[in-house]
Amino acid sequence: MSETIFKATNITKIYGENKALDKVSIEIKRGMIYGLIGKNGAGKSTFMRTVMGLIKVNEGDIELFGKTDKKGLQLARRKMGQSIETPALYPELTAQENLKVQAANGGVSEREIDDLLRLMNLENTGKKKAKNFSLGMRQRLAIASTLITNPEFLILDEPTNGLDPSGIVNMREIIQRLVTERGITVLLSSHLLDELSQVATHYGILHDGKLISELSKEELASKTRQYIELETMDVQSAVIVLDELGIRDYEVISGTGINIYEHLDDVAKINRSLVLANVDILRIGTTRQKLEEYFLQLTGGTPNA
Amino acid sequence: MLNLLTAEKFKLHRSKKLWIVLGILLLLPIMQAVNSILEVDNGKELVQVKDTVINGATGILMMEKNGFTILLVFSAFISFFIGEEFQNGTIRNALSLGRGRTLYYLSKLVITALISFIGVIILTASGIILFSLVFGFGEVAEINDYFGYAIKTFSTLYLLILANVSIYVMISFLTKNSSISLIWSFLYTMATAFLPEIFLQTEHFKYVTFWFTETYLNYSDFANLADIAKYPEMILVSLITIVLSSTLGILHFNRTDIK
Repeated sequence: MSETIFKATNITKIYGENKALDKVSIEIKRGMIYGLIGKNGAGKSTFMRTVMGLIKVNEGDIELFGKTDKKGLQLARRKMGQSIETPALYPELTAQENLKVQAANGGVSEREIDDLLRLMNLENTGKKKAKNFSLGMRQRLAIASTLITNPEFLILDEPTNGLDPSGIVNMREIIQRLVTERGITVLLSSHLLDELSQVATHYGILHDGKLISELSKEELASKTRQYIELETMDVQSAVIVLDELGIRDYEVISGTGINIYEHLDDVAKINRSLVLANVDILRIGTTRQKLEEYFLQLTGGTPNA
Repeated sequence: MLNLLTAEKFKLHRSKKLWIVLGILLLLPIMQAVNSILEVDNGKELVQVKDTVINGATGILMMEKNGFTILLVFSAFISFFIGEEFQNGTIRNALSLGRGRTLYYLSKLVITALISFIGVIILTASGIILFSLVFGFGEVAEINDYFGYAIKTFSTLYLLILANVSIYVMISFLTKNSSISLIWSFLYTMATAFLPEIFLQTEHFKYVTFWFTETYLNYSDFANLADIAKYPEMILVSLITIVLSSTLGILHFNRTDIK
């Protein structure tokens, strides 16, 4: 059983009359890449801020590296790194100077600065000030800045926000390298499930401040897998035919609809068997529920969420 | 604390605003010395009570002569220095590493106090040097032990300035925004500079004005023996202001949410 790095129990944060977080409980074990998904304003950044101790919670408990008391949490946070929302950098300083500031903040040596700049492809930025960096470069520098203290647990809030497609791929590769090469546990957020699905091992879906679902990569794959969609006026007879064909993994989803999750290559055979059994078919074909559709189904949102 | 101060050193090294502040404080005595030369050339006689600095010896009073300007310059610098940490989000970098908020606040206070000290040293030293070169070192009337007087006067004036610096730091941490901090610091400086003139006319409120350090800075003559006798009172009010404003600032900062 992996060590629990972080555990939040019933975290509640209230702003005025609005519950930004409503009894959110999440447990993250060592080695996980935990993806927090939610629409804008769902509470992702607020949750991350509570983890970092930047905002006070109204209710609930936080455990970091087994510590729950104030002093223990303060010390545990020295094993963490964060980049929440916009990259927090000193615009007038160079990449190297920004890292020097963070090394001083963390009370660690500056020895790793050159390695980190290389890791983030920023070694040739020289005397260029951070304010003249592209968004992708600033995102990478912000991550380098979080790594200077050798964190075991990294919190990245929408790290691909505003990046172009190549920047997104690059950022994804960096996160994966951090996990495989440095063994870092990661909590990252996005409002795009498709995007997170490429890196995360576990998912938590936040909606209106509530954690409405938690699932592993495998569970998500199963929920969004390919299937045969069958639409018929005679579901009862269709089910008999499917049973005769030896198909067990199917689901009657409505009075006219059946989803079949196996024998995906046998659409023609299933179709023929149904016709021979005098079952009227309105529609049959393979389909895949997209991740975003699954997300919208859970949150009851609109496609542009 | 030492780690946070080291981080501040890196930030300030490249800070244009810091160099502008120090540049202004170096430029002020030069302009005032030149201005005094022109006035004397035009037949005007420099009078200590009115002109404050008339020779090298009275150069120790450069803080008194430029009190209002110094405060405005420092209030602007501090508003940006602290406000931008909130606006750029860089404050998260230190706090999320488990650094205590009280220590963070104190490190900012120490750094601004240090910069103010360097600033007023530059201002006073260049004032003494330039006015000595132009009008000779001379003396301060009725002062026998000049060295002792200079130390006491410089320390008292610096403490009065520091008390205001402490208020500006508190305002910056309360507002968490450089522009808003700039406005409130400016309003505070203006109010405590000019309102005492009104309140000093009334019997009931004139004592209240002496709970604000700027009243001493603007309405005292630090070469006058009667006002020199009030140094302990000025020091006490300054220390009370520093302790109260810092306590209030720290208490609020410890409870505030960082965006």
